[in-house]
Amino acid sequence: MTDTSPPPPQAAGNLDYRVAHLAEHLASGDLAELGVRLELRGDAVLLTGTVPSTQCRDDILRMAREELAGHPVHSDLLVAGTSSPDHGEDLT
Amino acid sequence: MIRVAAVGDIHMGPESQGTLRPSFETLPGCADVLLLAGDLTRHGTPEEAAIVAREIKDLGVPVVAVLGNHDHHDERPEEVTAILRDAGAHVLEGQAVVVGADGARIGVAGTKGFGGGFVGRCAGEFGEPLMKEFVRYTRRCADGLHGALKNLDERDCDVRIALTHFSPVPDTLAGEPLEIYPFLGSYLLAEAIDTGGADLAVHGHAHAGTEHGMTSGGVRVRNVAQPVIGQAFHVYHLPGRHG
Repeated sequence: MTDTSPPPPQAAGNLDYRVAHLAEHLASGDLAELGVRLELRGDAVLLTGTVPSTQCRDDILRMAREELAGHPVHSDLLVAGTSSPDHGEDLT
Repeated sequence: MIRVAAVGDIHMGPESQGTLRPSFETLPGCADVLLLAGDLTRHGTPEEAAIVAREIKDLGVPVVAVLGNHDHHDERPEEVTAILRDAGAHVLEGQAVVVGADGARIGVAGTKGFGGGFVGRCAGEFGEPLMKEFVRYTRRCADGLHGALKNLDERDCDVRIALTHFSPVPDTLAGEPLEIYPFLGSYLLAEAIDTGGADLAVHGHAHAGTEHGMTSGGVRVRNVAQPVIGQAFHVYHLPGRHG
């Protein structure tokens, strides 16, 4: 019998491995970013977390879209707040 | 009343200069001390440390810091420490310092700490040398913290604060994936705090965690990672020993 099914995809191209490699690159590269969560959402990837600056947020999103080309990348990344608190917490 | 400002995980890089300074300059009006709970830089380079140094220099309140894992990444923690100390910060690792103004004596004991996990779900000192060293390193950090807290016990402090980067309790990790808790803290730090004695424990590291927790000995714990508190710092009001 002839097998007419398509060949299995390259395992290294599986989305979960690509996401894992992206997480490694975010941590080990210039961004040193360990605080971004990468979640598989069907065929897409969702980025969540709080990063130090808008430049970091933009760099992370650009890197994710490059490394995960072919899959939608959704971003819900926040930039850390830098305002002063208007009150303290009483620990009595 | 003692007013303690704290923040961690500010992760400063080249584009960060000046982002926190305006808020930090309000500190003399609302706090008696600023605690920095580690991960002050992104890679632990001297250049990034210099950015932090300019952000905290001459603030008008004492600054007490511990380093975090990011501050070790470039494997030059001594240089990072020296740059921060040149800017006037007290940088602690297994050490204690007493600071304050107007007669208040605020004791701070600090260590970076390390991981290992929490009671019933933790790494053990067993097996491969790397695994044993992992746990022994955490134990050395915890022992340093305990010794520093005991040192403060003899110095007539109004309040004693334990400052770490890694978390002493799982409470303040809520929001993080359970699977990574052992990389976020260790019960050995909480045990050191409870046996050494403290009025407050402050840590960072867990960006997706929550602010409030408590050790089993009843010491309040606050996760002040900047992504958690969402501001340049938070302030905690402590009654002090003399009310």
